[in-house]
Amino acid sequence: MPILREFDYHRPATVKEAVKLLAKYKKPAVLAGGTDLVNGLKDEVSQPDAVIDIKGLRELRAISFKKNLLTIGAAVTFAELIESKLVQAKYPVIAEVARAVGSAGVRNRATMAGNICSAVPCADSAPLLAAYGARVCVQGPKGKRKVPAAKWFKGNRKTDIKKGELVTAIEFALPAKAHGGCFVKLGRYSGEDLAQASVLVLALPEHRYRVAFGSVAPAPVRAEKIEDLLNGKGVSGGIVRQAQELIPSIISPITDIRASREYRLQMCRVMFERGLRAAVARLDGGGPSYGTSLI
Amino acid sequence: MGELKYVGHDQVRVDGLPKVTGAAQYVDDIEFGPGLLYAAIVESPYAHAVIKSIDVTKAEKADNVVTVVTGKDFPYRFGLYMHDRYVFAQDRVRFVGEQVAAVIARDPASALRAAKLVKVDYKELTPILTVRDALAASPQLIHPELATYTHVPWFFPQERSNIAHWRKVRKGNMEDGFKQAELVFEDTYTVPRYAHCAIETHGAVGLFDHAGRLTVWSASQSPYTQRHLFAEALSPLGLSHQNVRVIAPFVGGGFGGKAGVSMEILAAALATAVKGSPVKVLWSRAQEFYNTYQRQGVVATTKIGVKKDGTITALAQTLHWDAGAYVEYGANVVNAAGLSATGPYRIPNVSIDSVCVYTNLPPGGPYRGFGYSEFLFGLESHINETARKIGMDPVEFRYRNAIKEGDALTYGGHMNPSGLQQCIDKAAAAIEWGKQEKPADPAKARGKGFACFWKAPAMPPNASSTAFIKFNEDGSLNVLVSAMEIGQGFLTVMAQIAAEVLAVPVEKIRVELPDTDRNPYEWQTVASHITWGTGNAVQRAAEDCREQVFDLVSRALGTQREDLYLEDQAVRSRSEKEFILPFRDFAINGLMMKDGTYRGGPIVGRGMFMPEFASALSDPETSQGGKPNVHYTVGAAAVEVEIDRETGRITIPKAALAVDVGKAINPGLVRDQVSGGLLQGIATVLYEDMRFDGKGKLLNPNFSDYKIPTALDVPDQVVPIIVEVAQPDGPFGARGVGEHTMIPAAPMIANAIENALGIRIRSMPITAEKVALALRAKSDGAR
Amino acid sequence: MKKNISFKLNGRKLSLDAAPHEVLLEVLRDRLGVKSPKCGCDRGDCGTCTVMIDGRALRSCMVLAIEVDGHEVTTLEGLMTDGEITPLQRALLERNAFQCGFCAPGMILSATELLRKNPDPDEHEIKEAIAGNLCRCTGYTPIVEAVKECVGKSAKPDPSLVPSPMRRGKLSGRRK
Repeated sequence: MPILREFDYHRPATVKEAVKLLAKYKKPAVLAGGTDLVNGLKDEVSQPDAVIDIKGLRELRAISFKKNLLTIGAAVTFAELIESKLVQAKYPVIAEVARAVGSAGVRNRATMAGNICSAVPCADSAPLLAAYGARVCVQGPKGKRKVPAAKWFKGNRKTDIKKGELVTAIEFALPAKAHGGCFVKLGRYSGEDLAQASVLVLALPEHRYRVAFGSVAPAPVRAEKIEDLLNGKGVSGGIVRQAQELIPSIISPITDIRASREYRLQMCRVMFERGLRAAVARLDGGGPSYGTSLI
Repeated sequence: MGELKYVGHDQVRVDGLPKVTGAAQYVDDIEFGPGLLYAAIVESPYAHAVIKSIDVTKAEKADNVVTVVTGKDFPYRFGLYMHDRYVFAQDRVRFVGEQVAAVIARDPASALRAAKLVKVDYKELTPILTVRDALAASPQLIHPELATYTHVPWFFPQERSNIAHWRKVRKGNMEDGFKQAELVFEDTYTVPRYAHCAIETHGAVGLFDHAGRLTVWSASQSPYTQRHLFAEALSPLGLSHQNVRVIAPFVGGGFGGKAGVSMEILAAALATAVKGSPVKVLWSRAQEFYNTYQRQGVVATTKIGVKKDGTITALAQTLHWDAGAYVEYGANVVNAAGLSATGPYRIPNVSIDSVCVYTNLPPGGPYRGFGYSEFLFGLESHINETARKIGMDPVEFRYRNAIKEGDALTYGGHMNPSGLQQCIDKAAAAIEWGKQEKPADPAKARGKGFACFWKAPAMPPNASSTAFIKFNEDGSLNVLVSAMEIGQGFLTVMAQIAAEVLAVPVEKIRVELPDTDRNPYEWQTVASHITWGTGNAVQRAAEDCREQVFDLVSRALGTQREDLYLEDQAVRSRSEKEFILPFRDFAINGLMMKDGTYRGGPIVGRGMFMPEFASALSDPETSQGGKPNVHYTVGAAAVEVEIDRETGRITIPKAALAVDVGKAINPGLVRDQVSGGLLQGIATVLYEDMRFDGKGKLLNPNFSDYKIPTALDVPDQVVPIIVEVAQPDGPFGARGVGEHTMIPAAPMIANAIENALGIRIRSMPITAEKVALALRAKSDGAR
Repeated sequence: MKKNISFKLNGRKLSLDAAPHEVLLEVLRDRLGVKSPKCGCDRGDCGTCTVMIDGRALRSCMVLAIEVDGHEVTTLEGLMTDGEITPLQRALLERNAFQCGFCAPGMILSATELLRKNPDPDEHEIKEAIAGNLCRCTGYTPIVEAVKECVGKSAKPDPSLVPSPMRRGKLSGRRK
């Protein structure tokens, strides 16, 4: 099916130029991977007057690690994250999330920045950002700012981005010298699917934890109540059960064509427990290798 | 029959190279030049409504629009078995997505833009979305004019109702049958609608030239049936069969969905509106889901009577089919299932009511298995439950009741030679039936399931196949047939049959895709009847060539005719060992005599096959008296599942399927049918399901939410098992196998889940969610 | 507004005028006559439209044609240098890995990218690499088996190692 509406197209050479272009148009759209955008153009969900293609911007193509801070450029694809030695070594759970996105052909194009800008509730990257407390780097007519994940996601397809702003990168502070993580995603089968629920658990030294859920509320949910309960404790059966009991008060899943509320709730308990145990084991150098499906 | 050189051996597919190189041309790949026009369809947003008015003025004025047509331009009905479907909706629409008008423009975008400008004023009617509502007392009629529709003589529409056809089968005495039983029990099983999901969507290009010929290029399983239906529906425009031509290039998957005529009628009709210009109608993935055919849903009530020794004394089946808005093809699915809903068992007392019910959902129709998948889910679940209740091993129970050659069928005929018991033994052995497997992970449960199956080709008694074989100068062959390569390997199998008879290697044989101007008649590529029917025609055409060769050689050279035989692309003689006459020396140019004259000439063979013993006529109240089915292919399938008790996720360490194909012309291709068909069946029970909203709109017309399996969703191991009890009237003893590999999948998995968890799930699909919630309900109940 | 773009298609340079809203799949098929990428779903779910851009296999139905300006596009047609099929294509051919063949071009490109990146993938990695290419006919087993046969071999054709179909009798002969 062809795209029915016409629009301008620009491939700026610098971020500065991109930001200028964003200001110039009434309804510009940013093209990073384009996997959401092009479908939107076909469905006419997206009706921009200009498409600003940032894929080729050198400034946005880097993955770097400095001063315990990982910076992922907005044009970095999920495939590049999976293949990055740096990510594999320091943040293997980011690669685990990336591997759960779409299919290989989508990961070769789609970007994490695009994923969090689309900000659909089932975005795989969303609980990742929430758990790490990542920051979204934004550049606009008024300069640069960094938005913490907790403020970035405002609801279903809603973010904190302002008119004329461009996401340039996402920053992940290293939470500890060593950390284990685990991403568990519920799909209807093992192949490509949109998450019906997801859990991201980080296990840090000295029994500290971070937990976030995805796809079970309009925006990702950081489960601070669970973290408070668990912090400082080992993951014995009793405490895990107590944490599981808290889940219904933390998330608000809906029933839709993909899954019922009831099943999502039940699965979040299961996925949380499995993710937690895997993250803890990984912190200790054991556990299932990253990328192994736990459900 | 001596040793076979080509038949019965694996063979690289003759269409392999074009497919791995991208050279294979599908309908949308054909170039038609700059004159090609594109159609966009205006569709009904309502499941049931009266069309008050249509305003096309704005659309007609839009850029690049050539013309806009509506139902007024084509007030015609068509259909394969019943004329109940409209080229374009007339006074009312009957499902969401039904074609109401079309815009033809110079490019696809212009057509789509203009289609949005067509204004249709509807008066909404209450949609009938379930069989129950359709069968309610004094229901609203979806087809008030049903009584006036023409149909085949074996359909029985019920006046002033939504029942388009009711197949009744009565055999023996039900009262006695249930009286003799020591256990009688009944349950209801529900199967939703499913989509074929060929990766290529439907597409067709029509050209009505200035000389009055209509040519349609079509992604089709049924070029000749399409030609016939186009000529029939458009006969008011002066078209007759010789001036309608259907060309079928490679097809990107069919599974029944591209049989008969659905959207292709639009290309044929629209071409007549733009004489001289080709016009393309290409379905989007969404249209593919809601406006071709869907597999019909069914609610099956099954009641069985059985003795404690395992003898089945009676079976009553009531099958209520959600056949959708138009049943021109789907009613025959209902019919076929009704005739065979006993499954492959010997049962003396039988009552079957298979009822075809109109609803305001998209038209139902043929899908690999043609009704058998649907009723087998309930029947084979019920058979398992029966065995459990009388304390008998379910495999043993099936084995005891398995139908054998000569047993009486429900409608009075006799069962063909078949190796069902062999299949049962082999499938059971393949998964070590009876051995309890322990899962490595204690949170998981393991179980094994079993199901038997049978299926006959569902076809009119006079469905026929023909073939021409032409020799070329170098002794190579062109085989002309009009059955379709839809992926099953038909071209290769036909080449192997011709190769065997004519001693020409497969690589020197080209089997042509259909063009109704050149290739001879074929009914349709459906019903798993092609290897058998078209195979017979090709074998006969090859034999015709062979006899012509023997005639010529004996006449021209005086060689003893009865001593002649073919070997290695040449004529040989048993009595003259040194006699070798290669085909290339005479196949086109004939044999030169001493005086310089020639004998012979181009050799062209002709073969035809029609099952002259079949008849669809029988008593409407009992179905006794006819011979509607030419034969059954039988088999058995077994599976081992592993289930995560917390998530409900099901994985399949091993599945096995044994099928009696009579003779495997190409065993590798039979095995490939098993791995593909079984996965397609497994997907219907584990993942797929069409969901409609309360107004009849399909909610998941895409692969994002209609989940067909990926490479990550396949069983760890599939064991295909070939059994060969020859079909007496099949080519080299062969009978069909395409559909059979899919149909036992759903009940075998339901039975394995029951075996693993003690939970019987009676509605499809059986998703992880359904299993997990059932498990929790069970443990909550136990508390 | 149309813009003149230049790119390499299957190793050859070309330039054309593309409007921003033209999708790469449509331009390849309808304007350039390259028919191996197919349209199966038009929204990135099925993988039949897979092409390679700068060596990465991705979905051409989700790429604007104008984006490939200055890049390199490879379709299945472009894998066969000097008319030779690749070892992967040969393995697929000899295994009868495809049935209807509609998914074949995309499937082959996805598997080719995998073998170029990772010459020694395990079974799960093979399945993961082709999981975005839907096939309704085969149950995937024969495809995965054929890819496995190529593990450890280069995905690029080496004419000295690979006899042409004409020279190699096995092509249309019976399989062992």
